[in-house]
Amino acid sequence: MKAEGDMPKMPQALKVVYSAFRMAMLHWIADPQWVIPNIIAPFVFTTVALTLFKGSTGPFGLYAILGGGIMGMWGNTLYSSGFAIEFEKWQGTLEEVMAAPSKLILVIAGRSASNAVFGLTNMAAVLLIAVLGFRVPLGIENPLLFIVALILTLLSLSALGLIFASAFVLSRSAQALTNGLETPLYIISGSMFPVALLPFWIHPAAYILGPTWGVDAIRLTASQEYASQTFWTGMGTNLAIILDLAVMVLITLAYVVIATVLFKMVEKRARIQGTLVEA
Amino acid sequence: MIKQRAQHGHATGKAIIAEHLCKVFNITKGTLRRTKTQVVAVKDVSFEVDYGELFGVVGPNGAGKTTTIKLLTTMLIPTSGRATVLGYDIQRDVTKIRERIGIVLGGERGLYTRVSAIDNLRYFADLYGVPADVRDKRIKELLQFMGLSERARDRVETYSKGMKQRLHLARGLINDPDLIFMDEPTIGLDPEIARETRKMIKELVEKGKTILLTTHYMFEAEELCKRVAIIRSGEIVALDTPSGLKKYVMDTSVVEVEGFGITEKEVARFKEISDVLSVSADLGENKQILKIQTSKGSEIISEVQEILKNSRIYDIKIKEPTLEDAYLRLVES
Repeated sequence: MKAEGDMPKMPQALKVVYSAFRMAMLHWIADPQWVIPNIIAPFVFTTVALTLFKGSTGPFGLYAILGGGIMGMWGNTLYSSGFAIEFEKWQGTLEEVMAAPSKLILVIAGRSASNAVFGLTNMAAVLLIAVLGFRVPLGIENPLLFIVALILTLLSLSALGLIFASAFVLSRSAQALTNGLETPLYIISGSMFPVALLPFWIHPAAYILGPTWGVDAIRLTASQEYASQTFWTGMGTNLAIILDLAVMVLITLAYVVIATVLFKMVEKRARIQGTLVEA
Repeated sequence: MIKQRAQHGHATGKAIIAEHLCKVFNITKGTLRRTKTQVVAVKDVSFEVDYGELFGVVGPNGAGKTTTIKLLTTMLIPTSGRATVLGYDIQRDVTKIRERIGIVLGGERGLYTRVSAIDNLRYFADLYGVPADVRDKRIKELLQFMGLSERARDRVETYSKGMKQRLHLARGLINDPDLIFMDEPTIGLDPEIARETRKMIKELVEKGKTILLTTHYMFEAEELCKRVAIIRSGEIVALDTPSGLKKYVMDTSVVEVEGFGITEKEVARFKEISDVLSVSADLGENKQILKIQTSKGSEIISEVQEILKNSRIYDIKIKEPTLEDAYLRLVES
């Protein structure tokens, strides 16, 4: 076994992200509350969804399961990340973290990444419960691309989480507004049902969300029957998946740029006002 | 450039130079009718700290001690004035300063209580960019120095107050800082642990560290600090060695009254007597102690007996003034 000291040297920024990731994982393990959102909630959702779609023809079962899993990922990744700065405040460690020479955004990115991993356990729990508990045949057509799409969607959610984290501390209204937007976001992003089924005027809002494209890609990798409802209708499935992922990556990069600017504002405000929350 | 600045700091022999530092907070109140007010937390604060010095800042709650520390540690931007820390400008060279200083905040917060001491230290070592091989060795040394080695892998939530405070100290030293800021490091600790903490602080100074410490306790400032700044309403009202500060009250004496049944009203009457410079009262349930600082000396005793004629007086002593008396006089004047 390789000792930790013998590990290849990481760039400092990556080391901070990894260390924050590790610290968040240690907290998840230490706090058994994660069982509720990651195991119990997916179990309840999957049961309800499969009961509702019982006897339906077409891939409704699969839609419901994927939708449930994706919503779990949304909730877990986006909202846990959104409250990452608040978490430090509740712990009483925010001042110590802010006083360190590392950028706050790197610390929160590490936390966000750990939330993404736990978001993945949520999705895995839904799939396992569906397959083992309800004998739903999943038959994912392209398992490799499915995993790639899943991971990239999680990263996109994490990046969006960074924007939420900074917006939450810059404005209390953002926090209140976002709580109210939870369900609309699930709908707009196509997590509950395909975006194609939504009114046309909602589409622009759906397509500026990175995860919308990820959800599209996840559904495409899972079922051929979804090809008629994707944004890229008429193109080959693999090309459509790649285009979905490319658009998502671009939007995610834009999120990172926006988050960087917002975090600079957060740190400046903290240094001017002495507080991280708008009065 | 960096080297030059660092050398500048050492060349001047000053670890900290604060010049006319001011910090004004804008406070907004109300939801519908928003009103803005300004609070002056630090006003025209200037002082210098030598390398290897243990410098104290004392003052009542809300006097501006913590704000001063936050300005010097780059956690706050001053409204006006300037300061250099280890030769670096607090506004321009934020990262350079943060890499070289340690911060120890008092109280039980500021630690990840669900994880172990090792995990806490390892995390902060990474945030401070300590190389992995140095980090692990340093964590071991710090835990040993703080007497926490045996419980190093236990969750911090199972630690006593004193152990948490020692872990705070270890965390503040994780980057082997040249300068350490300690904000009330013994607050809330029982006397034995507080004494242990003070011993560790002394050892750090012996090891060549520069320390800026804030405290409420005058005996602590007297025991530890080479020089002490007394801060009141955001302003430094006196800055000297503990013995130098006592000179402010050399012309006075302290009449200490031990009694029972002393009321706030009676305490207020003492403040009205001319030549009474300060009055402090510890009106406990079983035992009450009144300290009257006066230039009258023993002549005031008859007036004390007159004012307290309805209370029980157990003892009256005339004492030499202490640093605490100097502090009270400066803060109350």
